[in-house]
Amino acid sequence: MTTAGGATDREFLRRYHEGGDLEAREQLIEQHLPLVRSLARRYANRGEQLEDLVQVGSIGLIKAIDRFDIDRGVELATYATPNIIGEIKRHFRDRGWSIRVPRGLQELNVRLSQLLERLTVELERSPTIPELAEAADVTEEEVLEALESGQAYSTVSLSAPVGQGEDGELEPLESLGELEHEYEVSEDRAVLAPGLDVLDERERLIIHLRFWEGLTQSQIAVEVGVSQMHVSRLIRRALEKVREEIATGRGSHEPHA
Amino acid sequence: MAQALSADSITLSIPHAKPFHGVARLVVGGLAARLELSYEHLEDLQLALESVLESEGYIDGEEVTVHLLVGPDSVVMEIGPLHPVVLGEELGRDAGQEISLSRLLSTLVDEISIEEGDDGHRIRLEKRVPMTRPEPREPV
Repeated sequence: MTTAGGATDREFLRRYHEGGDLEAREQLIEQHLPLVRSLARRYANRGEQLEDLVQVGSIGLIKAIDRFDIDRGVELATYATPNIIGEIKRHFRDRGWSIRVPRGLQELNVRLSQLLERLTVELERSPTIPELAEAADVTEEEVLEALESGQAYSTVSLSAPVGQGEDGELEPLESLGELEHEYEVSEDRAVLAPGLDVLDERERLIIHLRFWEGLTQSQIAVEVGVSQMHVSRLIRRALEKVREEIATGRGSHEPHA
Repeated sequence: MAQALSADSITLSIPHAKPFHGVARLVVGGLAARLELSYEHLEDLQLALESVLESEGYIDGEEVTVHLLVGPDSVVMEIGPLHPVVLGEELGRDAGQEISLSRLLSTLVDEISIEEGDDGHRIRLEKRVPMTRPEPREPV
């Protein structure tokens, strides 16, 4: 791929890998986001919001950029595609519905997630359950049931090795474009916190924003670029991981340096 | 299992087992819906409840009793019986950079206290919420 300025992927990759040019890395991420979006669209309507899948796919893109071997005669897009798809598929496998939830409830849960975003913007505040029910044209009880069914979603395997990808390699930092600065700031403050070391970088950021900075879920959703309901799931999952960590007596574990 | 004492008070007793925690969450959700609380306030209440039920201090008894009280501008959750010493230690721990129960609850609710009742100790969590309760419906 060649930019308007004439620089090719290969030039950016060389600048990043050989010179540590992070701007070149950002440029590559930005340039290939349409590819991520296009691939994510294939997996939309399966119980996840498109924007959440785009973010997950972006992690695959970043991994591909970071792992790319510039001496290989392959295009970045070609190399990144299986990484992006792999990340999206892993997301579905790891964070799928952990118990059998009727399809209707799953669909309502997804619809509510979208309505929550829309109503929060329209009303300039968090909507109430009756407002969500009216917008979704269902009863309040159905809304509550669908929200509760969302608890069955998003459980990551707690026995999985922490910080490792499915191929066993350590995962690179899962930062995203302009958010990188926030991740770094968060890292400074939160990485040494006992118990937080079991969380991945995004989980640490979200926990930090919620419980140290006092941001609301909707504010975090904007900050991190995922849906509000996904923020809710990530918070719960993160807390569950920390509790599990404590319960298994891994208190002596050394935090990341 | 749920026993409504009055329009502004609900008491729920459930087995102290994770599968039943969802029942408690649903009851809190139902109350939040009736009170027209925002989704975010509902989430805060549910997460506060879960945090207590999952905490180290909540180890006593085979049953959990969740008492929900609606005030003029607040919702109170009383959860018990619990181990006052263990929970007290958890709450008293310097939150610092740790995700302690104290850190979680102080973000999610406005007031936290441990109280002693007839059936033992319980934690009292009060969340102030803008109350826009709907007018009573006209009988059909």
